Amino acid sequence: MAELACTHCNLTFSEEVMIKEDDDSTSLYFCCKGCQGVYHLLNAEGLGTFYDKLGDTKLQPASQSHVSIDDLEKFDLEGFKNKYIKAHDDDLHEINLIIEGIHCSACVWLNEKVLHKLDGILEATINYTNNKAKIIWDPDTVKLSHIIQTIRSIGYNAYPYDPALQEERAKQTQKTYYTRILVAIFGSMNIMWLAVAHYAGYFSGIEHSFKNILNVAEFLLATPVLFYSGWIFFKGAYYGYKNNIVNMDTLVASGALSAYIYSIYAMVTQHGEVYFDSVVMIITFVLVGKYLEVLSKKHAVDTLDSIMGSTPTEVTTLKDGIKSLVSVENIIVGDIIELKPGEKVVIDGIVASGAALFDESSLTGESEPLYKQQDDIILSGSICLDSLIHYKAHKDVSSSLLTSIVNLLEVSMTKKPKIEQLANKISGYFSTIILLIALLTFTGWYFFAGSFEQALIIGISVIVIACPCALGLATPMATLVGISIAAKRGILFKEATFLETMAKSDVLFLDKTGTITEGKPSVIHAKINEDFDVSLLFALVTTSNHPVSKGIAQYLQETYKNIKTINLSNIKTIEAKGITATYNKSTIIGGNASFMYDNHIEMLSTCENTLFFFAIDNVIVARFELTDTIRPSAKKAIKFIQNMGIKVVMLTGDHEQSAHKVAAQVGITHIHSKLLPQDKANIIDEYHKKGHITVMVGDGVNDVVALALSDIAIAMGNGADMAIDISDVVLLDEKPESLYEAYELSRRTYRAVKENLGFSLLYNVIAVPLAILGFVNPLVAALSMSLSSLVVVGNSMRIKSLKFKDKNE
Amino acid sequence: MSEDIVILMIGVSTFLGVLGLLGLIWAVRTGQFDDQSKFIDAVHHDNEEDLRDAVMMAEKRKNYKNKKMRQEKQNYMPPD
Repeated sequence: MAELACTHCNLTFSEEVMIKEDDDSTSLYFCCKGCQGVYHLLNAEGLGTFYDKLGDTKLQPASQSHVSIDDLEKFDLEGFKNKYIKAHDDDLHEINLIIEGIHCSACVWLNEKVLHKLDGILEATINYTNNKAKIIWDPDTVKLSHIIQTIRSIGYNAYPYDPALQEERAKQTQKTYYTRILVAIFGSMNIMWLAVAHYAGYFSGIEHSFKNILNVAEFLLATPVLFYSGWIFFKGAYYGYKNNIVNMDTLVASGALSAYIYSIYAMVTQHGEVYFDSVVMIITFVLVGKYLEVLSKKHAVDTLDSIMGSTPTEVTTLKDGIKSLVSVENIIVGDIIELKPGEKVVIDGIVASGAALFDESSLTGESEPLYKQQDDIILSGSICLDSLIHYKAHKDVSSSLLTSIVNLLEVSMTKKPKIEQLANKISGYFSTIILLIALLTFTGWYFFAGSFEQALIIGISVIVIACPCALGLATPMATLVGISIAAKRGILFKEATFLETMAKSDVLFLDKTGTITEGKPSVIHAKINEDFDVSLLFALVTTSNHPVSKGIAQYLQETYKNIKTINLSNIKTIEAKGITATYNKSTIIGGNASFMYDNHIEMLSTCENTLFFFAIDNVIVARFELTDTIRPSAKKAIKFIQNMGIKVVMLTGDHEQSAHKVAAQVGITHIHSKLLPQDKANIIDEYHKKGHITVMVGDGVNDVVALALSDIAIAMGNGADMAIDISDVVLLDEKPESLYEAYELSRRTYRAVKENLGFSLLYNVIAVPLAILGFVNPLVAALSMSLSSLVVVGNSMRIKSLKFKDKNE
Repeated sequence: MSEDIVILMIGVSTFLGVLGLLGLIWAVRTGQFDDQSKFIDAVHHDNEEDLRDAVMMAEKRKNYKNKKMRQEKQNYMPPD
């Protein structure tokens, strides 16, 4: 059998299952009707060059399933319009969409092209990085439902999101920051080369006239940097002043401003040295650091949009036997709602009639679908998998679980508790003291020496020599080394300050599924009773997406080499039980114990693990035991962490029994089980109130709220995108010992930070008195400053020699 | 070397630099760097077809404006 690539989506399939079509001279192959349809549509529209642009990129096969009429109607409803569509003054409408299925820039090109061709569309731009599209159209000419249908007809899907949520604001701040940084970098780079001439002149002699030119040029460059780029520090210092707090901003603003004023004074009187280069360097470095924080915030906003965007805005209700689409806001308690297979639940309720499987993985993290029948509670955020059911709303939308999670998330994202950083605290006291000393020096010299000019110069030189270098470098240098070592070991710290917070933490929360365990069932014991063709079992389990089936399929692939492709017929999946199929007139059955009883097959079924049986013609030929395995070395890593004096607590949505079983195996004594997402967050909050600094490790959407609330959030590299985006640290290799290494490293880095700060304070204790006494001449200042910086850098490099405990111990 | 030459050199180079900086800031402000991936890949697809596309969109906007104007004229009622 030859493997061929589909002409449209480039995915490869065996020749016999493909749709063949002869076009003039060449043969075209399609994997499905959807791809075939899209191919012809594109060619008819003259957009065939899409395939040249596409190259070898593989697409999702174009699905025809979501092209249903009643789904499209909702886009023209009034409720939808009020929520997502922005009407312009000139009667044009604007909407922001997230386009699903974009794989490469050719996809972006195609979508834009097709939309441009549509009558009535006046603007369509798609962002390739986050798949968001902005569309402006004339509602008199074309309806939104038609636009959506057009996007679907070429094999993509679109759903709306509300950009007012936070995105616009985040984007705006990001842009202003960026502009400020550009100005700052431009200013500092240019001043640097002027400063080179300046310093050279200092040693080899320079005529006063040339020095004045350089001074004026530096002044012109430094002014916009200080007042435009550095504006946020003045603002921060002002707010600090209003709240009676001396913060890092105060130090930066007062240091930069006083150096600036002193330099102007030196420039005008042609007396002494100018420090414009220090002014711009301080502003530039601190500004870049702040910008990185803004960036990470925007990422989180992007993800928030995508969960809200994929939730339906309307649901089908049944009243007196009449079906109608009602906006979710108008649903009141007691309404009967119809739920179709594949739909996401937005309102909590109780099943009124019918039964179906529900995927609750996004809420509880549990991978197995749950079977719900009459009188069972269904939670918003879960997805109905296979049947149509009716349920009764028992909450309205605003108090439903999904909305409350999203609201919580929004709040916790902006209010994430940041523990006060050591460097900030010290520099806060430090700047107050230095400002006081400078003031005293000035008054002292003024009264005793009687010269205003001399007193001013000495007063300002105290601030200049005390302010920037060593203290400014103390923290960033150490954390930079710490972060780079961590990155080499597969631990990504998103911000430098997280190292410090993590070093101070005393409680560690661990999610069970996916964090301590692998998060998917795998075969731990297989018993083959009789010889049979393994390919049969493989064919059977690959028809199902159930995690148990996947676990068995993986086991078979790893153990057996020559698995053939077999085509089964009459495949039936029985909810929460198993699968049956026929092959060459024999019936094959795979499933759990109760499924075997249903089919009158006798076997032994007492076991604490998940069981899977396989029978051919009612004879059991194989039995598998599966369990969610604990990650190797989890126990050792947890023990190391506990030895560091950190309390380890397990939080899980799973039931008590399995929680205790896993906890006992890895040595955790504090366990909270059966938790919903917000319960996890509440527990973390309680610890906060007791004054603990917390670290939370999780991987699923169900952990997101807890992660957002914790002081440090750590996500596993394969976890949900949401979890990764919101977390502060990502463990790429997912190994529990990386967690221990992260602790070790952050503590070592924190120690280096403290040493550096101690040293630079010591430097100031010596240098400042000299400045007060009026002994500081520029050469001494320059030398001692670079020396102190070198000491700080050298000490930070020592972090590299950190040895981790041998993992094989 | 006279002072004038130094002033001229610093002045001209800084002025040119500022021009570049303003251009860059303008590009950032108008959203030309919002999408890194598209920005980089656009090189592959840059051809006259895109230009025609842009012209078509501009035309569409113009037509819409004209249509609006006509409508307003039709609806216009002189005060009695």
